[in-house]
Amino acid sequence: MGGFLYLSSTEKQPQEKVAYRVLGKTGIRMPVITMGVMNTDNPNLVRAALNAGMFHLDTAQTYQRGTNEAMIGEVLKGRPRDSFAISTKARLPNDRNTGLYLAEATEEAYTKKIDTSLKNLGLDYIDIYHHHNVWRRESAFYEPIMKALEKAKKAGKIRFIGITTHRNEPEVIRAAIDSKVYDVVLTAYNFRQQHGPEVKKAIAQAAEAGLGVVAMKTIGGNIRGSYASETIDARAALKWALQDPNVHTIIAGFTTFDQMNLDLAVMKDFALTQSEKNHLRRAKLFSGLYCQGCGQCLGQCLKQLPIPDLMRAYMYVYGYRNLVEAQDLLFSLNLPSEFCGDCSSCPVKCLNRWNVSARIQDVVHLREVPSNFIA
Amino acid sequence: MKKLRIWKTPLFLFCLFLGAKSLGGPSLAEGKTVSFPEVSGWKQAEKPQVFSPKTLYEYINGAADLYLKYDFQNLQVGEYRNDKKASVTVEVYRHQTPHHAFGIYSQERLAKANFLDIGSQGYSESMVLNFVQGPYYVKINSYNTGADDQEILLTFARQVAQNLEGPSSLPAILSSFPAEGKRKNSEKFIAKDFLGYSFFHSGFTADYELLGKKFKIFVIEGKNQNDCRDMMERYLKQTENLEKKSGEGSYRLRDPYHGEVDLYWQGKYIWGTMNLDDPNLRSTYFQYFESFFKK
Repeated sequence: MGGFLYLSSTEKQPQEKVAYRVLGKTGIRMPVITMGVMNTDNPNLVRAALNAGMFHLDTAQTYQRGTNEAMIGEVLKGRPRDSFAISTKARLPNDRNTGLYLAEATEEAYTKKIDTSLKNLGLDYIDIYHHHNVWRRESAFYEPIMKALEKAKKAGKIRFIGITTHRNEPEVIRAAIDSKVYDVVLTAYNFRQQHGPEVKKAIAQAAEAGLGVVAMKTIGGNIRGSYASETIDARAALKWALQDPNVHTIIAGFTTFDQMNLDLAVMKDFALTQSEKNHLRRAKLFSGLYCQGCGQCLGQCLKQLPIPDLMRAYMYVYGYRNLVEAQDLLFSLNLPSEFCGDCSSCPVKCLNRWNVSARIQDVVHLREVPSNFIA
Repeated sequence: MKKLRIWKTPLFLFCLFLGAKSLGGPSLAEGKTVSFPEVSGWKQAEKPQVFSPKTLYEYINGAADLYLKYDFQNLQVGEYRNDKKASVTVEVYRHQTPHHAFGIYSQERLAKANFLDIGSQGYSESMVLNFVQGPYYVKINSYNTGADDQEILLTFARQVAQNLEGPSSLPAILSSFPAEGKRKNSEKFIAKDFLGYSFFHSGFTADYELLGKKFKIFVIEGKNQNDCRDMMERYLKQTENLEKKSGEGSYRLRDPYHGEVDLYWQGKYIWGTMNLDDPNLRSTYFQYFESFFKK
């Protein structure tokens, strides 16, 4: 990529005007935007992104059952190996409720995943291989996967070991720091997270410890221009994440050339305008109904209630006015007729500072409304 | 935040009803509930899990984004165990239309898979069997099933397919692709942002190889002729071909991202080729499309 004056932790090349940051101790100098390839099967879009300077591509073995990696592999044929960096990821079966690995999560199974990714991509080595979707400290330290990754690194199949998380992020990030094995963390980080200050602090600690920090889900947890009635200004959301110098690059998933060009513009200038700040402030207010799934409440309730699900039902009623979805969710939880309100005081301390007990008692009565009346 | 204290009044309930009708998003209640079959020798381990567009992410993480682009409606997951500690997981993804279910299925199938006559189409590999039927995309995974793996997967697939509604045929428009040179099972449906342009809302593609040349053929079905006119005009503007008149007929354009693209617009269809330099071959294929859609 050439040598230029080291201006600051964010480099801006005079000719290109693209901002670069160094991914921790990996030493990989990459643009502040990474292409998230997961939603596209369009090789010409990937080519255009690479040609325009998006040096780093992010994929996963599960995306389109490996065909996403294979498509990228076709695009990369013939390109000099040092003209791009690839991150991919794989996971093994775990218990959905506890996040702990099941018996079939073996070192051999994970080694096979790494080899499959190499074959799909047609590469001799992968730059960053992520231990995917971790939300427990114990899982971050899961030996069979760590061993598989360390052996792969020693064998030259992967250059660096990463870990991804979009739940309990501070716990996982700190586990990554403590492990002394992970080189990169890939974490959900956006302007709407109610536990954003804790995530920000953990990111700073990771960067201080020399880990590379990659942010994802930066558009408030939404995908671009889709589901639900709210529309997030993607440009503003991307810029917000880049205000944090400890975030070395952010993954932007795009499926059109226009979206790509928007992200290329952010790569060059990510100063937030006043209008963008106002937009984010308003969008965050709406998120006062959005349970971030941090899981802090679990275990606090004396009756072990599924509080994140109940908060989601509350959001459906008060946020989206979708009573049908709220009622369906309440029924699916199979809770007894009376289950909240008889504790002398509620021991749940929500990070959002919500009155969880009051919200539960508000929304649970929806079960008593006949379904055909609200359908 | 106002509390829902007056919910018990009939007037308020009526207002809720009106509100839900006008503002409601996707709902499990609106969709069909799939009943998981009883399979001899297997017991359902727990009640089926259900995921909506908002919660799909909890089950399949980042892969959920692509399913949402294919108008995913809901997912039901059934887990089975037997007394030999083997397990089978059945995931039934319901999408808005059969096209959308085919679309996500086509994104994940490999052209050289072991194809099966299940539902509209299916395929299997070790510990995996996926198939599509109507608006449903079904994914079955097995663990510890040993030598009987494929037979077990087939048994489950057949029984699940019986419980599903919807046509058991692939989208009819796929038969509009000429057979000569087409790579079998390479057809895909792209539900949004076709060719990387938001104005080409959706399209079908297939890969071809003929006389040593590799190329793609695609078909876009607009809502009507005006919809196609709008798409063509936007594409001409995007590719800076404003001097070309937008009318039915053929076009040869230089796309800055896709290279040479040939299009033929007729009625509510736009079909085209990419990377096909042979003008005679292009003409033959276009004539084929023209006669197909005139039927």
